[in-house]
Amino acid sequence: MNDALDVALRLLIVFVVFLTFPLIIGQTEHKVMAHMQGRLGPMYAGGFHGWAQLVADGVKFAQKEDVVPAGADRRIFQLAPAVALLPYLLVLLAIPIGPGEGAVGEVVDAGVFFVLAVMGVGVLGSLMAGWASANKFSLLGGLRTAAQLLAYELPMLLTAASVAMAAGTVSLPGILDAFEWWWLPWQIVGAIVFFVAGLAELQRPPFDMPVADSEIIFGAYTEYTGLRFALFLLAEYAGIVVLCGLTTVLFLGGWHGPWGADGLGWVWTLLKTALLAFVVIWLRVTYPRLREDQLQKLSWTLLVPLSLAQIALTGIVKVVIQ
Amino acid sequence: MTLAAATATTAHPTLTTVAAESHGFLSPTGVEVAFLLVGLVTFGAALVTVTTKQLVHAALWLVVALGGLAVEYLLLTAEFIAWVQVLIYVGSVVVLLLFGLMLTRAPIGRSPDADSGNRWAALVVAVAAAAALVWVVADAFRTTWIDLDGPAAGSTEATGASLFQNWVLPFEALSVLLLAALVGAIVLSRKAKAESSSPPLNSRAATGSSPSAPNSRNRPIRRNGRSEATRSAAGTEPTARGTASTTKETGPTEASNPVEATNPTEQEGAR
Amino acid sequence: MAPIPGSGLAKGLAVTLRTMTKKTVTEQYPDTQPDLPPRTRGVIGLFEENCTVCMLCARECPDWCIYIDSHKETVPAATPGGRERSRNVLDRFAIDFSLCMYCGICIEVCPFDALFWSPEFEYAETDIRDLTHERDKLREWMWTVPAPPALDPGAEEPKEIAAARKTAEKLATTQPQPTTQPQPTDPTGSNPEPPTEPPAGPTAPEGDAP
Repeated sequence: MNDALDVALRLLIVFVVFLTFPLIIGQTEHKVMAHMQGRLGPMYAGGFHGWAQLVADGVKFAQKEDVVPAGADRRIFQLAPAVALLPYLLVLLAIPIGPGEGAVGEVVDAGVFFVLAVMGVGVLGSLMAGWASANKFSLLGGLRTAAQLLAYELPMLLTAASVAMAAGTVSLPGILDAFEWWWLPWQIVGAIVFFVAGLAELQRPPFDMPVADSEIIFGAYTEYTGLRFALFLLAEYAGIVVLCGLTTVLFLGGWHGPWGADGLGWVWTLLKTALLAFVVIWLRVTYPRLREDQLQKLSWTLLVPLSLAQIALTGIVKVVIQ
Repeated sequence: MTLAAATATTAHPTLTTVAAESHGFLSPTGVEVAFLLVGLVTFGAALVTVTTKQLVHAALWLVVALGGLAVEYLLLTAEFIAWVQVLIYVGSVVVLLLFGLMLTRAPIGRSPDADSGNRWAALVVAVAAAAALVWVVADAFRTTWIDLDGPAAGSTEATGASLFQNWVLPFEALSVLLLAALVGAIVLSRKAKAESSSPPLNSRAATGSSPSAPNSRNRPIRRNGRSEATRSAAGTEPTARGTASTTKETGPTEASNPVEATNPTEQEGAR
Repeated sequence: MAPIPGSGLAKGLAVTLRTMTKKTVTEQYPDTQPDLPPRTRGVIGLFEENCTVCMLCARECPDWCIYIDSHKETVPAATPGGRERSRNVLDRFAIDFSLCMYCGICIEVCPFDALFWSPEFEYAETDIRDLTHERDKLREWMWTVPAPPALDPGAEEPKEIAAARKTAEKLATTQPQPTTQPQPTDPTGSNPEPPTEPPAGPTAPEGDAP
């Protein structure tokens, strides 16, 4: 009975995190982006500096009519948002935020593989949406999504493999247990490659070619309205949470910190994740969108070689220190 | 199906499993029931994959079938293989498949022209292959039992140990092959830069060293220029035909430019 | 000198980060009134006491958005045996702000300084026909016209003042009695000082001039 309660509690906590963190990041994005552009951002909703803007947005989305285009493939069109969203919920289960068994939703033996595999599945949602909309812009968006995923999955996997080599395990808590501070400079190239590739996989600016609103309206999500559209947006922001959490766990040492690692480890994890989320927003504000061919080129001619070099470096150092 | 057939045998560990002693064949455990049900779902999805008349639906049902297979691996304690299955097959192969489908032909609704005339031959081959696989697997592993109580036989550690102790040579050969493919891809994408001898039309001299400089852009631009030329030369030729002819004449080099290639299929696809 | 790879990227990041720490430029308009420069072209105010119904504004208006009605009145002779004068009396002065393009030509051409720019801008209406504002409304806006900004140091003095001083100096030389030396800035009508205070009364229209 106690076990069941424990599992239920963990699931509940993960679910609450899944629902709130993306909103917090979304609100931060509103405000940070506004201030980086010399604006104030939302100021009215909720009274104090527009803190409830996203709640208001959610209410608005929920009120809208759920439209399915006449020419669309109905079932797949309606299923796509769920396929896009759920993988991130699953991934969130496996990310440890503190030391010990208690601070992770579910210990997965091959955590790195689980996380990357399930994240890759999320892209299927965009593909399904793009195809099922019966819209040229959507199809183009879906195609670009697929091309982007194929290009960036590889460097992501390779750099994650580099960390797994360094730690000698593919379990996320195991990697954290093995972490030492000097991994930071050792794996820095891998960290950058992983983060950039993750951004590209999430289709965040400057890698938002698949949704490039000035050319293909909103890519695969063009035909979506109301709650389903909101689910896609939620998937994007949940993706940010997951990517930042993963980068924290894999490369930045998760709950390790200069002090207070015992009781306050989770604070470190959250702090690092929040910092990375800020960087995600910062990059979005700063850089213009990459063109499709630049996007492919960046992956194949820069990130993949860099990640291979990182793996080689990891291997060499690993052999030397043994 | 193979696995479903194997369940009956794997569910009877002769060694130490208590479950096998207390449960007979007719009173299966929860895991066995789950295994069987997931197997049925997988089998059903696989059947729909090959029988559905909608191309993209076939690819999506394939996702279900492959995912079901991953769950079966999980139930057989092969966690590592399960996640790799999801990563490689669902995450990459199916996406590649969908990419190819959307790039070439992905109409919404049925595509009767995709029906093959030799379906019976295909059925015979499929049944024969399945029978051969089931027979070989059942025969080979008849005496191999999974010890559910000891350390999980399919865990990452066990898989890695057996891979790098007993199967190092095949593994290394495979990885060299994959690495060669990877390097080949990089070389191919870099070659485009060397081939284009004329300077990029819109490049600034100072930023030529930027790694993401859009060199492959040359060709599309020149192609557009040529299509402009054909169009103006033909004079009254309608625009659509002009584009189509251009697409045809540059067919082989099309891979880098999905946009133009999609247009014709798009028009018939989205009616 | 080849720049360090990525230095441009870093520069971009620095720009956005610096902007984030700076004060925002957002105007919180409905909550706080904007701080508008004195020459803001908000609306056109009419100082109808100065208007002589010369119709120049209405004729120069590119949009034909100024409507003027008037009639003539005869003023009895001021001195016995004198001649009667006639003057124009303004009946209607209206500007259709749905047509007005805020070019300001009417204000430029007005020879008697009867039209002024006012920074007032909150006069939206729900019906386009209500945007034709009559003279009482235009007169009200006159109260919102700010004093003109001071001249730049070292700027040429206004033409009117220069002319006045010249005549004063000429007077001073022809009549050599050094009183208090009538320096300029006395002419009330020629000073373009907009009447933020209500004028003393309906000033005599120009018709009295001989």
